[in-house]
Formats: sequence, C-alpha cells, structure tokens
Amino acid sequence: MTAALSKTVILWIFVAAVLVLLSAPTIVILGASFTSGNIITFPPDGFSFKWYAKIAASRDLWQAFLRSVYVSAICTIVAIPVGTLAGIALAKYAIRFEKSVQIYLLLPFTIPLIGSAIGLMLIFGEARILGQLWPVGIACCVINLPFMIWAVTASAASLDPDLELAAASCGAPPLSTFLHVTLPAVLPGVISGALLMFILALNEFLVSLLLTDARIVTLPVQIYNSIRSIITPDLAAISVVFIACAVLAIALLDRLVGLEIFLKSK
Amino acid sequence: MMPAVDTKADFDNAAKADTIAVSVKDVDMVYDGIHAVRSASFDLETGKFLTILGPSGSGKTTLLRLIAGFQRPTRGEIFINGAAVSTVPPHRRSIGMVFQKLALFPHMTAAENVAFPLKMRRTDARQIPARVERYLDMVRLGGYGARRVHELSGGQQQRVAIARALVFEPDLLLLDEPLAALDRKLREEMQLEFRRIQRELGVTTINVTHDQREALVVSDEIIVMNGGEILQKAQPADTYRKPANAFVANFIGVTNFLDAPQGGTRAIRAERVQIAPTHAELSGCDTIVDGIVADAIFEGERVVYEISVASMGNVLLRVFDHDLAAHGQFVAGTAVSLGWNARDVLYFNP
Repeated sequence: MTAALSKTVILWIFVAAVLVLLSAPTIVILGASFTSGNIITFPPDGFSFKWYAKIAASRDLWQAFLRSVYVSAICTIVAIPVGTLAGIALAKYAIRFEKSVQIYLLLPFTIPLIGSAIGLMLIFGEARILGQLWPVGIACCVINLPFMIWAVTASAASLDPDLELAAASCGAPPLSTFLHVTLPAVLPGVISGALLMFILALNEFLVSLLLTDARIVTLPVQIYNSIRSIITPDLAAISVVFIACAVLAIALLDRLVGLEIFLKSK
Repeated sequence: MMPAVDTKADFDNAAKADTIAVSVKDVDMVYDGIHAVRSASFDLETGKFLTILGPSGSGKTTLLRLIAGFQRPTRGEIFINGAAVSTVPPHRRSIGMVFQKLALFPHMTAAENVAFPLKMRRTDARQIPARVERYLDMVRLGGYGARRVHELSGGQQQRVAIARALVFEPDLLLLDEPLAALDRKLREEMQLEFRRIQRELGVTTINVTHDQREALVVSDEIIVMNGGEILQKAQPADTYRKPANAFVANFIGVTNFLDAPQGGTRAIRAERVQIAPTHAELSGCDTIVDGIVADAIFEGERVVYEISVASMGNVLLRVFDHDLAAHGQFVAGTAVSLGWNARDVLYFNP
C-alpha cells in the first residue's frame, strides 16, 4: 500500500516537473509580453497591451510577418504534391533502392542546417535568384520535406491495398482511383504534413538569414536583428503571436483530421 | 407478351449457343519459379454459382484474381462471354467483386460506396439515387444509406459490399472469401443471403473459400484445388458422393482411409459406418470388424467415435452416432463392432 502510494507520489512529481519544464518558456514569454514596463521581465511589471499595440503599429514587423507567410505558403504549396506523391510511392510500391531513396530524402535534414543553407545560398547565387523571396520558400521545402513524406507515408502504409483494386473493379481507371480513393485515404497525412510544413517554414531562421538580404527579411530574421540592438517587451509580444499561429494550426488540425490521427501518424 | 412456342425454342437454342460465361483455358501463373496455378482449365455456364474450394496456398485466390484482371496469367487465356480478356484492364471488365476484407471506401457513406461504380461507369446521374436505393433494399439495408462505413456492423458492411459489387449489373460476380472473418452464425446467414441474391439476379458467380460446408451449401458447382491444380469440377452432391481422388475425399466430409490392397486407396465415409455392441446388430452389413473405442467426442447433434481396429493395424476409424437416446452408450475402452457395405466404399487409383 505505502509502496504503491510512494510510487504514485513520485510519478506525479515527475509529471509535474515535465509539465513545468515544457510550458515554462511559453508561460514566461506570455507573461512578459503583457508587462507595462519598458524592459522584458517575468513576472511582468504591471499589465498592459501596449507592446501588442506597438508591434501592430510597426510597419517593418508587419511586412516581415507577411513575407514569412508568403515564404510558408510557397513552401507548403510545393511540398503538398511532391511530398504526397513521394510518400504514397514509398509506402505502396516496392521501389528499387527504396532504402537509398529514403536516406537521400533525409539528407537535407540530416546534414547541419548551416551546411544546407550555405549550399542553397551558393546554388541560388549561381542561378541569380538570390534576393527574391520565393527561393526561400523552396529552400524551406527542400529542407523540411522529410516531415511531409513521413506524415503521408504513415497514412498510406495503413491503406488496405485491396481498396485500389476494389475501385478498379468498380470501373475506375487509374487516375480516378487515385483521386477518389487513394488521395482521400491519405488526406489526414497530407493535411498534418502540410500544416507542419507551414509552421516550420514560418519559424525558419537560419536558412532565411543566409538567403535574404536587408530588403526582404522574414520575421524571425527581423526579430534577430532587433535582439542584437536591444531586447524590449515587443519581442515577447511577437513571440506570443508566433505561439498563437502554432496553436491555430493545431486547432485547425484537430478540426480537420482529429488530433488522435495526427499523434498516431507521428 | 407471351412468346409463341416456336420462337421460344429458338430463344432457348440461342441461349444455349452462348451459354458459357467464363472459360479458363490452360492458365499458368508462376511467381518466382513457383506455380501458383498450373494448367487450370474450366468452363462456367451463365447464371451458375461456382465455388473454388481449397486449402490456403492451393491457388484458388490467385485464379480468382486472374479472372478479375488484377494479374495477368503467365500462360493461357481467360474468356469472359467469349472474349479473351488477358489484355483488358480490370476497370474495363464487367466484374463485381466482394473482397475478403470488403475494401469499402472508408471516407464514403454506404450509399456513396454503392453509387461509386455507377459514377465511374457514367450512369445518368438522375438515375443513380434510385438504383442505389433499390440495391440497398435488395441487401436489406434500406434506410442505412447515410451511415458511414464504420457505423455499420460487420454483417451490414458485408451487405454494402455486395450491393456495391452488383449495382452496375456486372456480367460476373467474384467473391474472395468475404465470409471468412465472420462468426459462424452470421457466416451461415450470409451464405444463404448470397445464394438468395444470386438466384434473384441470376448473375454468374465465382466464390472462393476453404470452408467445405459453405461450398456445399451455396454452389451449383464446386471446383476443388490443391497445389495450384484443379482436382475436380462437379456438382456439390457428386463432389461429395464421387470424389475424384483421396485429397478431395479427405477435404470434403469426414473420411476413413483403409488399407490399399492393389496399390490404390480405399475409403469409407464416417457416416456410412455403423456401430453396435455386437456383430448381431450389424446383420445388414457385408463387412464387419471389431474395435475398441479410443475416444468419444460429443458434438451436440452427434457423437464422433474414434475406434481402434486391431485387425487393420490399429488404424483409427471415425464413426458418427446420431442416435441421441444412445449417446454415452460407448465410452473409451468399450469393445464394439463396426460394419459397412462394399457399395459405400470409395476406390481411388494410385
């Protein structure tokens, strides 16, 4: 009885510690963003929305934010067809050199980000597309694509192979089978992958830092530039906006496919 | 309108001339050097219910999938309504199929599943709802159309799968062991349901199963397969009464194999053997042996005895006893007499 009790107590302490560790940064930044003082502190010094008012009024931040959204959109739009087709192919067919293909797809993700970023910078420089925004989206897509592929593969792997044969026996030619049966079946994976790609691109810093110049900085780079001069509570407010975006994405995911499916598909 | 007598005869003759729905000619299917199907040939008449019966690995499912068009035979040709179909992809064949795991589209409702083949075959959109309704009614699922697949019970899902396979009025219906996963009661109910629907629509049907009882209950004809080869094609009663070889005799029914005097095999069905305490009660039998009860297995409606017969090298013979009043009469160790008639003995050449 006492052994069971102490086990329960230890378990709860452990759980509480993990919860605090996981949520502490979010709570601190959330609190600090509502301060009425002029320096970033926790607990906050008074309560006000003035820093939110400040970032809302800042043209630089708004433009940087819109640029980030643009980059994320490009990344997601490219990732959806590429990642979906690759994911289905990897899950469904016995592809020659399947292992090698999987390792190859992991490559941009496995080598240090700074390495990929420099490589991409050189390639884009050679192609004379550096200084534009859309290549940044492509770069984010290339680096994070494994996430998209994983999400789709997880959905496609649980697909009953007879489903496509059933569609064929119903008279559906291959393209109709793909559109009406295969695609809807892997849709949860596509949606979770796409939202993940969007969030990752929105938060992407290192690649943007190397691929953008002063005229076209994305939001994380803009924040970084501000930190270098002075850390003010408006940065906390921006971070809260970021967190809000992520929460929105998760809520959307829950609405569209249900979180259980997403968590199961890793 | 009643046809005149002579035109009816003409009609019958025309029907007879064109009566083979499926013809399989010398089909081989080889995977990695292994013959999954070996020189399979058979004809199936229009409107008949054929069951391909065999143990797992006998090639029965492969043969079905060749007919469906999911695979191409290594050798040989398959004809459907007289036309060679080897180069015809499955979606251009007029074949409805019920899959082992049903393969209903999970993101669609029952009605959408049934409507799918009609949409794919470009049926007039205004006719689709009524057709779907009619087929859902036929499988006794009227009013369930709006349910999602996962909201239906196992038996209801079976019925949706049947409706989906039949709604476009295919030339041929294929059943790939769709009843294997059901519990016994539901399975027996669905067997009769398949039989009823097949008779109602008169659609030519090929069913695959390893369940000998199902084969006997539902079929007009049974093909028994083993090791990729067709061993026998006959009507159920003939398959049971005159099995083509020892494998068929053993696979369908409970059969005792006796000694082989001239190299062949002799066998007697368990139900053709009589059991009695002494020789005197077996006066009607022309062969009588003595044995000891090794085991008595109570199966409800009958008792199965395993009798060890010393004069036949202690071979165990299985005997049925349907006499409920006498149940428990013979316990293990009891000395009994067995008798049968020579005309019931089956002979198989080596």
